[in-house]
Amino acid sequence: MTRRIVVVFAVLVAIAIGLGLYALHLKRKVARDEQLAAQQQLEMAPPGNGPPTPVTLYIASDSDATLRKTQMNIALPVERSESARAVLRALFAAYLQSPSPHPIGAGADVRDVFLLGDDTAVVDTNSAFANAHPSGVLAEELTVASIVATLNANDSKIQRVKILVNGQERETLAGHADLLRFYLASNIGQAVKDLQ
Amino acid sequence: MLRSGRMSRLLLVLVCVGTLHLTALLLRWAPVQAQAPEQNQITVYSPQTSYSVPLIDVKGQPYIGLVELLEPLGSVDARPDGKKYKLHFTPPGGRPGEAQFTDGKDKAKVRGQNYKLSASFVLQNGRGYVPLVAVPNLVEKFLGTQTLFHPTGRRLFVGMAPERFTLELHEGNPSRLLVGFDSAVNPTIATEPGRVRLTFRHEPVAASGPDNVTYNDPLITGASFSEHDGIAELDITGTAPLMANFADGGKTIIVTGAPPPPPVAEQAPAATPQTAPSTPAETPRPRQPATPRFLVLIDPAHGGSDIGAAITPSLPEKDVVLALARRVQRELANRGIAAGLLRNSDIAISLDQRAVSANAARPALYVALHAANTGRGVHVFTALLPAANVSAQSFLPWDTAQAAFLDLSGSVAGSVAAELEARKLPNATLLAPLRPMNNIAAPAFAVEIAPPAGKVEDIASAAYQEQVAQSIAAGIAAVRAKLPEVRR
Repeated sequence: MTRRIVVVFAVLVAIAIGLGLYALHLKRKVARDEQLAAQQQLEMAPPGNGPPTPVTLYIASDSDATLRKTQMNIALPVERSESARAVLRALFAAYLQSPSPHPIGAGADVRDVFLLGDDTAVVDTNSAFANAHPSGVLAEELTVASIVATLNANDSKIQRVKILVNGQERETLAGHADLLRFYLASNIGQAVKDLQ
Repeated sequence: MLRSGRMSRLLLVLVCVGTLHLTALLLRWAPVQAQAPEQNQITVYSPQTSYSVPLIDVKGQPYIGLVELLEPLGSVDARPDGKKYKLHFTPPGGRPGEAQFTDGKDKAKVRGQNYKLSASFVLQNGRGYVPLVAVPNLVEKFLGTQTLFHPTGRRLFVGMAPERFTLELHEGNPSRLLVGFDSAVNPTIATEPGRVRLTFRHEPVAASGPDNVTYNDPLITGASFSEHDGIAELDITGTAPLMANFADGGKTIIVTGAPPPPPVAEQAPAATPQTAPSTPAETPRPRQPATPRFLVLIDPAHGGSDIGAAITPSLPEKDVVLALARRVQRELANRGIAAGLLRNSDIAISLDQRAVSANAARPALYVALHAANTGRGVHVFTALLPAANVSAQSFLPWDTAQAAFLDLSGSVAGSVAAELEARKLPNATLLAPLRPMNNIAAPAFAVEIAPPAGKVEDIASAAYQEQVAQSIAAGIAAVRAKLPEVRR
């Protein structure tokens, strides 16, 4: 009888350990799948459907802590919020290329841009944007400043910008830059001058 | 036979239930394996500073981080090298020394001599840990000064003896117990019916007589002193509610009976004079007179589970900035400027908690320290906020409290940048939307250090950090006259 109990106990312990390892495996798999999904989402994003239009991007450079004003042509939708989203996606694409002047997390994307009234834009980014963003005051400041300055440069009516992550408010981008507030384009303008 | 069968089935059920519990534990363990161990700590007192260091549990034994232990006592440069851990330590004004430890081994080399630890050295996530019992001897070897360790209380006195306090009972109506110290103290005072507890977290106090004293007094019946987890406590018991007051500039604490609460319906006569105290030295002083002071509050960012940026896989931002903060504190002290650290150990503090603590301390200047591997050199930031046309003396909105201080903040940041320039350190002064700096109601700036030219690991090198710390301290000292002292 004792031997039977020992055997049953050993089998159950083995099952318990197996389940523990399986749980760990599932956790890692979910993290991998999320990252893959975010990447696929970016790759499958439809191109803009308007005519090629010159846009201004403020592209950050980590090596010398600057924002550089750059012109490029992209297909720009007519609708304002769609147009703002297309411009920001072009900005993110510049950061996601390799080598990048200012790397951001793989799979980072702009889910949507909402316009509130004439002057306020709410930029909804995906979780990969914030979760995988390099942490640091300078790195995060460059990202925020380039988003606000780029939006304002292409739609001068946009004077206030708020950044959401996955539709939610977030305290900071990656531990430093404040994401709870609305950024004023006029205020960012001063930071941009310092960064040029 | 029947009974034996039932017993077996009962045993089987018990084994199954036990195993299910084990399964649940393992499933629970899987996602939380990186959770921090329960916090306990040791407090170290030296003539220059006192600080607490968290302990970790390794196979049932308390261990302590070597860098966290030694950094406040001098200049430390430590690096893991495979299974080896090399540490350079220079005490202030002393000769530099080296030590080498090996993960899983109890044999080490300290200042060129073989040294045997009481248990194996542990290397975890690039940080070196030694058993707590080895600490007094190791500190003596590194500093060349004597130590005194209270193992049960986890209090280590380095190069100094504990300060003994005296107890003196003055019988009367009501009786008073005078607790006397050689220098001013600032314990936490807690009262409950028939008891006053004085908790000393930073003062190196110890009893001069027996730990437990009993009094044959109708009001005060006893006092007992105890030490645990790096703190000292003095419990005074009585037969009625007690209260404690400071006297003699904080060198004496007077414990006596609490006055009875005033009748609710009646108002005390406005002109009723209070009973004159018997001697000036024993006069209770409910409030210290307002004295101007200049305090710089240094905030080493992140801590605990919030590691900040991963400078390298084994070098988190939270460690780099804590080391830098201690250097800045020392450099400011060398220039006669008092500075406090918002955290002096590896603990997590939320952004709002940091702002609340900083504003409550009412500093003349707030300095946040960060580190990253983006860019090169040192970046000095002031808050990215629109200037506010409000007085710093008025109520300030929480989200933009810093806006009222932008001019002064910019002035100090500029001075620090000039000192960095003078030391030929690459630098830039910028605006940043940084929390909790936006919420600070005092002149404030932040410094983010990036690696100097060369290896990324050099961001933690003593030479580089010393240059940055000197620049920050010199920059602050240069504009000290512009910053208003704060009354408390």
